[in-house]
Amino acid sequence: MYGWTGNILRINLTTNAIKKETYSEEFARTWVGGRGFAAKILYDELKPGIDPLGPDNKFVVAVGPIAGIPAPNTGKTVVAAKSPLTGGYGDGNLGTRITEHLRRCGYDVLIVEGRAAAPTYIYLQDDEVHLLPADEIWGKGTYATHDWLYAKYGRASGVLSIGQAGETMSLYAMVRSLEGRAGGRPGMGAVMGSKNLKAVVAKGTKAIPQADPQGMKALGAGDLKKVGELDKKSGWSRQSTNGVLAWCNEVAALPVRNMRKTHHPDAWKVDGERVHAARVATYGCPNCTMRCGITIHDHEGRESELDYENIGMLGPNLEIFDLDQVGSLNYMCDDYGFDTISAGASLAFYADAIDRGDTRGDFKFGDAERAKELLTLASRREGIGDLIAQGSLRMARRFGRGSESYAMQCKGLEMAAYNCKFCPGMALAFATAPIGGTHKESWVITYELNQAKRESYGPEKAAKVMELQRIRGGLFEFLTACRFPWVELGWGLENYPIYFNKITGLNWTLDDFWKTSDRVYALIKLFWLRENPAIDRTFDYPPAVWFDPANADTEGPIAGKILERDKYDSLLQHFYDFRQWDRRGIPTRKLIGVLGLEAEAAGAEKFGKLE
Amino acid sequence: MKVRVKMIGPLMYEAGFSEKEVDVTAGTTADALLDLIAVSRQRPRIMTRNGRAVAPEEVLEDGDKIAVSPIYSGG
Repeated sequence: MYGWTGNILRINLTTNAIKKETYSEEFARTWVGGRGFAAKILYDELKPGIDPLGPDNKFVVAVGPIAGIPAPNTGKTVVAAKSPLTGGYGDGNLGTRITEHLRRCGYDVLIVEGRAAAPTYIYLQDDEVHLLPADEIWGKGTYATHDWLYAKYGRASGVLSIGQAGETMSLYAMVRSLEGRAGGRPGMGAVMGSKNLKAVVAKGTKAIPQADPQGMKALGAGDLKKVGELDKKSGWSRQSTNGVLAWCNEVAALPVRNMRKTHHPDAWKVDGERVHAARVATYGCPNCTMRCGITIHDHEGRESELDYENIGMLGPNLEIFDLDQVGSLNYMCDDYGFDTISAGASLAFYADAIDRGDTRGDFKFGDAERAKELLTLASRREGIGDLIAQGSLRMARRFGRGSESYAMQCKGLEMAAYNCKFCPGMALAFATAPIGGTHKESWVITYELNQAKRESYGPEKAAKVMELQRIRGGLFEFLTACRFPWVELGWGLENYPIYFNKITGLNWTLDDFWKTSDRVYALIKLFWLRENPAIDRTFDYPPAVWFDPANADTEGPIAGKILERDKYDSLLQHFYDFRQWDRRGIPTRKLIGVLGLEAEAAGAEKFGKLE
Repeated sequence: MKVRVKMIGPLMYEAGFSEKEVDVTAGTTADALLDLIAVSRQRPRIMTRNGRAVAPEEVLEDGDKIAVSPIYSGG
């Protein structure tokens, strides 16, 4: 078997048992890698109903067959577990040197089980596995933690770590790596913290098995250069993702004031032009020639790496338009190990709830200094911070008074920085994403506002959402590679099966990846079904406030417009029809047969019937 | 007549400005505006007029706000 190492490293932190396991070629071909591996392992090994923050949950680190091999842009790793934020399947990817080092240690998957008796970190060096005390870094932020580990193992080593938010099990704590890389929005950092696991470090020197290593080396190096040239020609990385902010403001899709507003006259103060002008350094992931990590000096003079989602959610969504203050909030989230999107959304929800009179408090939109204090309280789970650390949906349920309508989340995960007050397709993308309100699976908004009619709820939008899910949530999450060369520079999708085939010696086409993608999306839906037997189509609805006429803009490009519930429901039905899911949004028995998921479905049927 | 033009993302460095008023004659289309601001009609882009997508052949009106953006596809 080429391309895959064929090995899984399993570590039980309760018993200190370390097992090196193998997986079959059939497993590799069925699930490919990254998210595919993680979803299958978690589905098979987790008993439904377990406490996500208990020792029965498992923390999975998984890479794909082209990961770590020089080619565009192969530095990504998937982290996954049952989510403490949503109660369903959770994962995310991040750029990290772990990607290559895990493979060079001889593994494609690391599974961490149980709970250590004391703070621990894992150190892998080729075949050696060490479980080491983390007392000296427990309580530290991710920057200090990384520095401590770099001093011990060198900056070239691969490191994943959590900050204080992971240690205190904030439900949206993330996993951090490199300067500003983070992944696992639905609380993957909290799962690490629940296991007393502070960090994973890897240094590997083994060769990654490839069918045609010389051919791949030449192809990968040449293509990395071409992607770099495309980036220079387009100028994309001058503002990177931050360029999106000005566009969202123009088209009334910017999150402002807990997404109650869609644009703001001061948005220019935190846009891509301002970020580029304030740039002090640029960072990127391994094997990348279009580096997108722009750092600026924050209000306290620290280097803070910003992208659009960070700014959108910690800036306009909180009505904070001082770029250096947005930088400070972003730095604090990175250091504590909070997801910036959920942190911004939770703080905004809190300010909105106070505004509406659903709760009492002293936080107002625009108050950057109080936002910083609240983040610190959340990292310690002290006072109101304990509630803020649990995300907007739990806050809303605590406040009552109908405030759940204003919690800007899907399935419990806060939505990223696109205000879909009048974007039906993007609302569908958020609501049907398999981990909750993420933008990463299907960024359909440019298609929706440019190539389709904004007001349409037609099948073309549902088809596009599914098409993008197959590519973004499937292909790239399995391989594991960054989607940016394709999505931002037009680097052809057809290149990816070429890399895959050169490395594995197989002869796959994109259609093979689409089938795998449909299989994994179906499996993840079965995971949710096991956890929520009463699941129905309202599970795939966006927040109620987007259907509320009283929430419509009173001026601007979408004045008077809102999402229409009956039309959204028909759009959702189009999506289910394309996916061959039933009216509850569950894969049909027929589809299960096509995808070869009979054994998995039989397990799920103990919890909810398939049609 | 005058329209206000906003360049978004890297297009502002190509055009040499971020936002300005541009004099246009009556009957100027969205595509023809690109010639006036030295942006190639072949450049992949999204254009909006007062926040809504605009077709290349659409005729502009006095006071319009036109935004020209690369085709962003996801953060």
